[in-house]
Amino acid sequence: MDLTRFLQELSESSGVSGREEETTVVIEKFFTSGPGKGWITDFRRDRLGNLILRKKGEGGEEAPKIMFAAHQDEIGLIVTEIKEGFLRFSTVGGIDQRVLPGQEVLIHAREEVPGIIGATPPHLQTPDEHEQAIKIEDLVIDTGLSREKAEELISVGDFVSIDRRLISLKNSAVSGKALDDRAGVAVLLQIAEELQKLKHQADVYLVATVQEEVGLRGALTSAYGIIPDLGIAIDVTHGKMPGLSDEDAYELGKGPVVVIGPQVHPKLFTSLQRVAEEKGVKYQVEPSTRPGGTDAFALQIARAGVATALLSIPLRYMHTSVETVFLSDLREAGRLLAEFVVTVDGEFVEGLSCF
Amino acid sequence: MKELIKKLTDITSPSGNEDLIREAIREEIKEYCDDLKIDRLGNLIAFKHGGGAKIQFAAHMDEIGVIVTYIDDQGFLRFSNVGGLSPFQLLGQRVRFTDGTLGVFGLEKLEQMKDWTLNKMYIDIGATSKEEAEEKVAVGEFGGIIQDFADLGRRVAAKSMDNRVGCAVLIEALKRVQSPRNDLYCTFTVQEEVGLRGAKTSAFAIEPDLGIAVDVTLTGDTPEAEKMAVGLGKGVAIKVKDQSLIAHRRVKELLVRLAKEKKIPYQLEVLTRGGTDSGAIHLTRAGVPSGVISIPTRYVHSPSELIDLEDVEAAVQLVVAVMETPCDPENL
Repeated sequence: MDLTRFLQELSESSGVSGREEETTVVIEKFFTSGPGKGWITDFRRDRLGNLILRKKGEGGEEAPKIMFAAHQDEIGLIVTEIKEGFLRFSTVGGIDQRVLPGQEVLIHAREEVPGIIGATPPHLQTPDEHEQAIKIEDLVIDTGLSREKAEELISVGDFVSIDRRLISLKNSAVSGKALDDRAGVAVLLQIAEELQKLKHQADVYLVATVQEEVGLRGALTSAYGIIPDLGIAIDVTHGKMPGLSDEDAYELGKGPVVVIGPQVHPKLFTSLQRVAEEKGVKYQVEPSTRPGGTDAFALQIARAGVATALLSIPLRYMHTSVETVFLSDLREAGRLLAEFVVTVDGEFVEGLSCF
Repeated sequence: MKELIKKLTDITSPSGNEDLIREAIREEIKEYCDDLKIDRLGNLIAFKHGGGAKIQFAAHMDEIGVIVTYIDDQGFLRFSNVGGLSPFQLLGQRVRFTDGTLGVFGLEKLEQMKDWTLNKMYIDIGATSKEEAEEKVAVGEFGGIIQDFADLGRRVAAKSMDNRVGCAVLIEALKRVQSPRNDLYCTFTVQEEVGLRGAKTSAFAIEPDLGIAVDVTLTGDTPEAEKMAVGLGKGVAIKVKDQSLIAHRRVKELLVRLAKEKKIPYQLEVLTRGGTDSGAIHLTRAGVPSGVISIPTRYVHSPSELIDLEDVEAAVQLVVAVMETPCDPENL
């Protein structure tokens, strides 16, 4: 498949937490009428909107179930007030408010309305104001609509997404919005593609989860419904850049990051490492002691507990509209996880409870 | 309705100590449901048969309060909060413990206002020694702030309007519903104020197809209030988002559609702080599409929470409308 093209479609689709449908449709189309046609056995949406793609293995009824979770939602905004045609807003998820002024946005109202985020001009700011990021209460969305028309089309509670094209930079770098975690969703597609060439016992559930950015909500409920034997979350981690310490950040282009920490089952960690070594996949290791930040945590505590791992894609400028990743890292992540699937059978799953 | 709200708000039942309020609600609704049970955490669940989808309505019946942490030699009580309690709301107020013992709040001498925290405050129950205090109150006892119900006409104020007004809405809806078209599980939940705990366990047991919490929300219509597009007296609020929940799109749309059809005044609500029972319900098991019917309330978590009875009436009508509309969970 043309990874750049599908990452672009994913990145440019609007899917703010709780309103992921447009992104869901992009993924569904990929598998029903796109290059992924025939790659999976079936798919369904659950009641909260998680998209669950299933590829059956050759293990029959007793086959182990592997759940891969990448969240399809993105951070965004929500209209809180319509004031003389201008929109006031609040955030959905942890958007970086320093980068909001000057953004182009789409308001998902009765119809889609384009807008921009404006702020007081620098000429009219006090020196104090000039020193600080503008507070979110002081920003407005301008749609150009008259007051009457704005009130007719737009309601309090309408969701707003950032409008931004994905661009290619040098090497295999691409930059755009929502790559946290559409990069992970693209890895799900990569896994499905890689699995076409491989034989595997396990039933594979590729889940594009919803509402991760507001509290890992979709992962929690989808894992409950699927009852996986093991779960691997695919998300992003901080990429190296000036100003970040080496301990906090990972190289772009040097492969996916295998996480070790309390949310990761030690045997899954070592298995991923082993598969990477055997198949010549470049990878990096991240010790992470803060389990709350990704779907891995929700997977781990679903039902009576699920053996969980976390694979991360290095990404720069997280939670801005210029999130940047290397395509090579996505490809390597897909290959690593597909090769890992091959190694999972009933015996492997039994081994997970032998400490 | 005014009488019912007064009756419910006069009762002291902080989180984890919902016996008194549960008994009062049970008396109110026992004639109006097909089955009534109390689960292991103390949630009161009234079932009314209607066929179709299983809908859980949840109104929490607990209230914020205090818990005694220490009794000093002079008989003064130190305390901690149960739920979100601001120290600034307490000075000059009185507390009633669940056994009826009364006390008043006091504050140490402070060098500066910013030192004013709960642990600079104490409760005076009129005791002259530790021994005397211990005869009336023990460490670990719960209390609630007391304040007279104030009848302001169309508007009323009371303590624990959060969420006795939600309980009153659900009670009234149960009384009014003529022909339910869904299986109704009206749940009066415990321990919402300390983390949506009763909602979480009751939803796990009920396994609803649809969850709807009935609770209070804030308003933005008082002098220099934080910006918010909800106003008192402008109708029932239909929640889009708070910190615990993004209302399921179709549940929100169902509520808006019913409000429009029945000409019930409504407003849309985006609450940037706080959460409610639907936050727990929607994450139950494999997920439950959920929304919230909110009653706009001023001065939430103060001893004088203020509401407009016309908003309450709109909320009752909307709850009844949901009860009487066949809801297909797979195709909302």
